[in-house]
Amino acid sequence: MSTSTTPDQRVDSPADDHTPEARRWNRARVEDLLIRNSMVLVLLLVIGYFSYESARFATAPNLRTILIASAPFALVALGQTVVILTGGIDLSVGSVIALSAMTGARMVVGHPDRLWLAIVAAVVVGMAAGLVNGLIVSRLNVAPFVATLGMLTAASGLAYVVGHGAPINGLPPEYGKIANTNIIGLPAPVLVMIIGFLVLAAVMKRTSFGLHVYAVGGNRIAAEVAGVNTRRTLTSVYVISGALAGLSGVILSSRVISGPPNLGQGYELDAIAAVVIGGASLLGGRGTVWGTLLGLLLIQTLNNGLDILVVPAYWQAVISGVLIVAAVAVDMWATRRTRT
Amino acid sequence: MFRNVRRGAIAFTAIAILATAGCGAGDDSAAPTGDGGDAALRIGVTVYDMSSFITQGQEGMQAYADANNIELLWNSAGNDVSTQATQVEQLINQDVDAIIIVPVQADSLGPQLEQAKAADIPVFAVNTTLSNAELITASVLPDDVAAGAQEMQMMVDAIGDTGNILILQGPLASSPELDRTEGINSVLAENPGITVLAMDTANWKRDEAVNKVKNWISSFGDQINGIVAENDDMGLGAVQALKEAGVSVPVVGIDGIQDGLAAVQSGDFIGSSLQHGRVEMAAGLAVAAKFARGEAVEKSYTYIMPPITPDNVDQYIANVVTEKDAFLQGIGDLINRNLASGDIANEE
Repeated sequence: MSTSTTPDQRVDSPADDHTPEARRWNRARVEDLLIRNSMVLVLLLVIGYFSYESARFATAPNLRTILIASAPFALVALGQTVVILTGGIDLSVGSVIALSAMTGARMVVGHPDRLWLAIVAAVVVGMAAGLVNGLIVSRLNVAPFVATLGMLTAASGLAYVVGHGAPINGLPPEYGKIANTNIIGLPAPVLVMIIGFLVLAAVMKRTSFGLHVYAVGGNRIAAEVAGVNTRRTLTSVYVISGALAGLSGVILSSRVISGPPNLGQGYELDAIAAVVIGGASLLGGRGTVWGTLLGLLLIQTLNNGLDILVVPAYWQAVISGVLIVAAVAVDMWATRRTRT
Repeated sequence: MFRNVRRGAIAFTAIAILATAGCGAGDDSAAPTGDGGDAALRIGVTVYDMSSFITQGQEGMQAYADANNIELLWNSAGNDVSTQATQVEQLINQDVDAIIIVPVQADSLGPQLEQAKAADIPVFAVNTTLSNAELITASVLPDDVAAGAQEMQMMVDAIGDTGNILILQGPLASSPELDRTEGINSVLAENPGITVLAMDTANWKRDEAVNKVKNWISSFGDQINGIVAENDDMGLGAVQALKEAGVSVPVVGIDGIQDGLAAVQSGDFIGSSLQHGRVEMAAGLAVAAKFARGEAVEKSYTYIMPPITPDNVDQYIANVVTEKDAFLQGIGDLINRNLASGDIANEE
């Protein structure tokens, strides 16, 4: 099944802007673009609706609010994108967030000057968890769903071990500086998110590593035959996902200056939702970093707007659930249409 | 087969000798603080999970146990009802003198309570009730309705009888959320001038509350006069959201966790209500121990959370955080005095 999607992916990827036929504009081409970018239209509709319903929605402070709330999810969703492009999935990120946050918090408790150590330790712990995931998937050929499900459980347990079975309270106020500092007018988490997107987009589009990720996701055996070190590629994507989850964890815990061992619970599903809404295929080989950005912004805009309109949490859950399935259904329909 | 039995018998004898030796050593060290003539008790405990509250509670129970010649068999159910059921069954099989349950879920463990009754082992519910009241010997429960009313009254005292507030609830339909919300609503009913702009759950979590309140600040801006959070963690999230938005309104919480006490001290909170795990759970153990030693106990004890205000916060910070070891030293006497007076939340 994934074999047949590989040629499509080549056409789908934004690289086609540079091919001669991309410059030809006709009705079919415009229609095609609209369908391809259906998610942009949905996002604009959602933004339009909330702006119409509340004058408080489309304001600069609220945009900032949305972006700050997005940042920790964005990092996890970015890592998830790369994993999903290889045809894998990383279910462990929620617990890796907790484990990294607890490690970061443990570093600074009683040592307010160890901010950088906290960040580095959190990212290293995330990478280590990712490395274990990656090696199990690439060397032992355990299905990614199973390997990362195991890590989801184990890392959650380890988060409690780091906290001696309880949240870490009494963190120094300085710990809050990591997430609550403004750099060139932007809150640090937002800046990290923007850099993350730009870097990963460039890596996926311009480097051989990016090509290898798409190739492995398209058809691992074919990629192997073509000379791609598929094991190394597979391991790397889980390490990237783990490192980004670690960074996300330290940002989340620094923002509220606390180390709860249940931090990040369920984030893996939000991240997967963002990637899937962004048009990526869970079979691998198809999807883009920009698609994930759109999916993420859609989810976060919806969370924010529904809160502003004071829609109860249980209705918010219903709306989000319907939206995820609807988005993927539209995407499947659009893909089928462009192929025939 | 025969050899196995023999080996088993030898092992059993060896263990019995070791155990006797162990008891002897234990008695010597326990003698100065223990209640002298009381027989040693083995009491089984199963808690829903290792939260901050339970971690404190374990310290309190252990301190009480050490002072009163009690051996605790400690189990944590990882928030799983069926794990807790298994743990209760295991404790029944070990023939403990009493079982203390801090339930995962109120509506659970019916068959296990029947088994305990059949085995003539008394069962005590602490912190959350169990629905089969007739199968429980006694319960020690916090009054969450009173705590909700208390925090809402603190807010009314701070902002007056007119104003607009936001309310952050616990996980919807969980029993502490329902009770605390009921308490809040009872005070709101007496103060019709107070409008609830928005009321929704942030699932006890700081990171969830910060985003929720930021969104509400976008929506209501300077109409907000106060924020009532059903626990300290969500209140601390609200404080962070207010700081990010550059606004300042009164915030109140419940629980008296370390960071919540610090917030009362710094003025970020107008107040909180103390649910001190060490005191509440040690009281549960004390009730179980008294019953197991043949003393009469009440059917139910209520832990009424003391208000934490800027005036008394220093004392509670000492008891909960800075001088907790000294506090634990005296907890055996404190709990016995509290059971006699009936005010089981007293810390003086």
